Formats: sequence, structure tokens, C-alpha cells
Amino acid sequence: MIKLQNVYKDYQLDKGVFYQALKGITISIKEREFTSIMGPSGSGKSTLMHLIGLLDKPSKGKIFVQNKNISKLSDDQMSTLRNEFVGFVFQQFNLINKLTVLENVLLPTVYARKTLNFDPQEKALYLLKRVGIADKANSYPNKISGGQQQRVAIARALVMQPKLVLADEPTGNVDTKTGQEIMKLLKELNKEEKVTIVIVTHEADIAAHARRVIKIRDGKIE
Amino acid sequence: MNYFIFVLKSAFFDFSRNKGRTFLTSLGILIGVMSVILLIAAGLGLKRYINQQFESLAPNLLRVVPGQILQGGSFRGGPGSFGGVQFDEKDVIKLRRVKSVDYVIPTFTKTIKASAGKNSELTDMFSTSSDIFSALNIKPQYGQLFSKEDVDKRTKVAVLGPKIADKLFGSADLAVGGSIKIEGQRFRIIGATEAKGGGGFGPDFDSYVYVPYKAGYVFDPDKKFLAIIVKAANNANLDTTKKDIEDVMLRRYKEDEFSVIKQTDLLNAITSIFSIMNLVLVTIAAISLIVGGIGIMNIMYVTVTERIKEIGIRRAIGARKFDILSQFLVESVILSLFGGLMGLLLAWVIVFFVQKIFPAYINLTTIFIALGVSTAIGVVFGVFPAKRAADLSPIEAIRYE
Repeated sequence: MIKLQNVYKDYQLDKGVFYQALKGITISIKEREFTSIMGPSGSGKSTLMHLIGLLDKPSKGKIFVQNKNISKLSDDQMSTLRNEFVGFVFQQFNLINKLTVLENVLLPTVYARKTLNFDPQEKALYLLKRVGIADKANSYPNKISGGQQQRVAIARALVMQPKLVLADEPTGNVDTKTGQEIMKLLKELNKEEKVTIVIVTHEADIAAHARRVIKIRDGKIE
Repeated sequence: MNYFIFVLKSAFFDFSRNKGRTFLTSLGILIGVMSVILLIAAGLGLKRYINQQFESLAPNLLRVVPGQILQGGSFRGGPGSFGGVQFDEKDVIKLRRVKSVDYVIPTFTKTIKASAGKNSELTDMFSTSSDIFSALNIKPQYGQLFSKEDVDKRTKVAVLGPKIADKLFGSADLAVGGSIKIEGQRFRIIGATEAKGGGGFGPDFDSYVYVPYKAGYVFDPDKKFLAIIVKAANNANLDTTKKDIEDVMLRRYKEDEFSVIKQTDLLNAITSIFSIMNLVLVTIAAISLIVGGIGIMNIMYVTVTERIKEIGIRRAIGARKFDILSQFLVESVILSLFGGLMGLLLAWVIVFFVQKIFPAYINLTTIFIALGVSTAIGVVFGVFPAKRAADLSPIEAIRYE
């Protein structure tokens, strides 16, 4: 489903000074896989996540999403692909505090360019029920707990029925018990909703939830 | 539709969270729109006022004046304007032969000192024939008006406008039967006219001292007239009559030595002068709108900076650059339009009270201008901050704390 071929990513720190975050990454992620990308901070895993999540383009090498080379896509096409193909779950939850829980979940459908084959409202309510916070639909994100916020974020990631859910340190801001619950939920979703899940983490025990662990260090796959 | 509701909700949430800031930002536009509308309303009022002044005079009047003062509906200065030739009795007699002419009235005006007892006032003497009263529809309130006989017999009688009568005698009815001294010459007062209104911008008929023109020759030893008023018959074609008068006058004077002015020409000339003045004032007031727009631009930059994270989130879940651009543009337009609406409302309240003393008014065009201009300001001054928001890199935006 996603293929990276010898991908490099450089960042310009200053005039003429570059930092090479990724040094020739080649990986392939298949549909309905549950994979984790593990590495210490500075290993380049966030950069890798941005590339897989279509937030950025490689400096060198090719990325194929469903056999389509993304380097040729325009900014608008990348946005549309993010909207339809990927769902993000962030460490910081990244909900919009001025919108209710339900509105946050609905937000990706607001930006949808294709005609949806489902009713957004219905779908959002179903997902909130699925992640176990249906009663918070009309609350505001800053009025609910971190674990609940992360569940909202998961519901938001799923609303467009994406092929891929990309979770960046999804348990980084919640306590261990909640973290375990979140991981359990993601596993269930992988099985029941048939979505591909990629988790980016530096914690080995979180990475261990995945069936496949890709280790990254100094911009290279170990 | 759904999309638009989300954009609006987002905008209004931020406005209500920053009520003070929102209000202050809109205040710039409010003041600008208010001053522009008030000036336009004043200009419209002035136009209406001038029209009313002229309507109070009789229509189908033509004025024969020295020099060339009107060209294409606006005043033109230069040699010959005012004090060129002066007319005399011969002109009056010739003009009376023009067809479709009811009255030909010679006039001579002079600023004089009129005194009655201990009171004295500086005012205008209007030395003319008895036809002036019918031509301008002036009626006596007390006593009577002077007659053709009075003119021919050079009787030293005067008819006072109510204002000057009040000033000299305390009340107009007391004036009748009394006498005034004009520049030392005693005139018997035989009547006072009804108030005609006016003054301010038009001629102030209520302050005139009317005297028969032949008696008035005392003050006009050359027996010249400053203007001849011609009243055309009601069914006359004013342009034809004007042409006929010009032909008569051309036999004696050169083309640039006199002008025949229609009432409407004069009205147009005055109106055009005030329109230009008004336009200048409105333009100056419009500068405050630009200042208001800069205020909006400034606040929009602040808003964008405050919401970088939000922009990042929206971009990550699929918002295009255009979506972000339009979101912030909508916000700046709402800010500006809000200011514009409040300015309009405030101007309307002020105009409502001003109307008691001055016929200022706001028309539909003014409302459209106000709303159109505020929308345009929102777009013009919002587009740069919105562009900045749209051009943020999604990764950097979402990492921003």
C-alpha cells in the first residue's frame, strides 16, 4: 500500500548547512498491517512519519501510495490525499478547542472534496460510541480528560474511512493504564474496521503491541 | 453549506473570546464609515436644501446678467464676469417686445444702511418694478405692495421683508405706516411681505428693502440695472425664450458682455460646486477607512500567529491552502462589515436627529456604498494575513506551541 524507495530527507538549518534526517530508507507497508516504527528521539522517526502521512515530500527517493508516486502531486492534491487516505492521531491530541467533540470528529468531512457515501453526522456519532465516549459528543475538548481526548482524536482519524491511521506517540501524554486502553482500541480497530495502523513511538513496550516493528536509528533502518 | 457554518462558527468563537479586541478593531472601520456616510448625508441634504430654496422661487424665470458667468453648467471666472456692462431702461423696453414674456423686471441691488428711529441695520435694498411681486409670488402680510404707479411717479415708498421689519421696528405690523431712512433718504413704509424663507445659501428675500426702481435712481445716478429678470409665460419654451432674449441683447452688446441664465443653470452650477466640495470632504474622510483597514490587517496577523497550531491541525486533516485562506478572509470581512454596519447605524441615528434642523438624509446608494466599502476593506486588508496563514508549512504549524 505504501512503499518508500531509498528515501532521503534533508533539512536546511542555515545557508548551506544541511541536516540529513533520513539516509536511504526503503520500507513497504501492506494493507491492514499493524506496524510500529520505533526509534529514539533524533532517529528520524518523526520525519518518516511526516513522509508516510503525506505532510512532506522526500528530498530524494520515491514514495508510492497505492502505486502512485507522490513527488509529482501538488499541494492541493496532497491535501486531498491526506483527507481521504490518512487519519492522524497525535501525541498532543491536537483537537480544536473551540469546536465540540462531535464537531472535531466531523472536521475532516468538512474539508472532503469527494461526495461521501455515508452520513457524516451518523458516522461521527457511531465512531464516538465505538471509542466509548458517545456521552461527550457535545462537550468541548478542554473539558474532558487526556484519555478521552485521544479517543476523540482516534474517532476523527477514522471518520473519512481512511486506509491508514498514523499514530505519533499516541500514548505519550496519557498515563500507563490509559495508554494500554488506547493501544487495545487501536488493535481492535485494526481488526474490526480493517484499517492499516502505523504507530510511531520510542517506547519498546508500546511498539511491541504491533505485529511488526521497524526500528530506526540515525536516519537508517536497523 | 456545512463548510460555511464551520467557518462562521470558528470566526464568531474567536470574536466572542476577544470581545474587546474585536470591538476596537471594528471601531476604526466604524468611525470611517460613519464619517463618510455623515458627509454624504450632509451633501445630499445640502442639495435638497438648495433645491428647496430654488423651488420657493417661481419657475420659468430667466436672468439677464452682465458678463459671462456660466459656461456649461459651472461658474467660469475671467474677464467680463460681473461688472462688465450694465443694462438700462432701453433694454427693458426692448425685452418687453419678446414674445411669450410675461414680465421684464429691472433690478438694482445695493447694500445699504437702513435706519428707523434709533435702530439701524445693514441690509440689501432691492430696487425694482412692481412686477417683481407677481413674478416671485411675493404677497403682503401687512399693508400693501408698491404699484406700477408708484414706480412711474417715483414715489418714495418701501416694502420691507419681515426679517428686516422685525429688526427695525420690533414687529412687522408696527413698521407699516412708519418710515425708514435709506442712506439719509426718507422712505414711507407701505407694507411688509410674508416670510418667504430662504437665506443661508439663496437670496434672503425676507431681509430685502423693496423700493420702486425709479425712486431708487437716487442711489443709482447712472440709471443702470445690475440684472434684468424675465418671467416667461407659463406655456413658453424656456430655451426658445432664452434664445429670443439673447438675439435682442446681441443687437446692442457683444456675446461675452451678458448672459441669460435659466434658474436650472444656476441651480446646477451651485449644486456642482457643492458636489465637488462634498467629494473632497468624503475623500478626506475615506482616509480614516484606510487607517481602519490597517488596524484590521494588524489584528489579523496577530490572530494568524495565535492560531498557527489550529492551522496546522486543519492542514493535517486535509484542508487546502484555499480553505485556510478563505477562513481568515471571511473573518476579516466579518470584522470589517461589523464595523461598517455599526457605523451605518450610528450615522443613521445622528442623521435622524440632525433632520430636525437640516434636511440631511441617507439614501439606498449610500447604504450600498457603506456595506460594499467595508466588505472591500475586509478583503483587501485581510488577504495578506490570510495568505500568510495559508502558506504556513503544515509540519511547522502543527509543531508550533
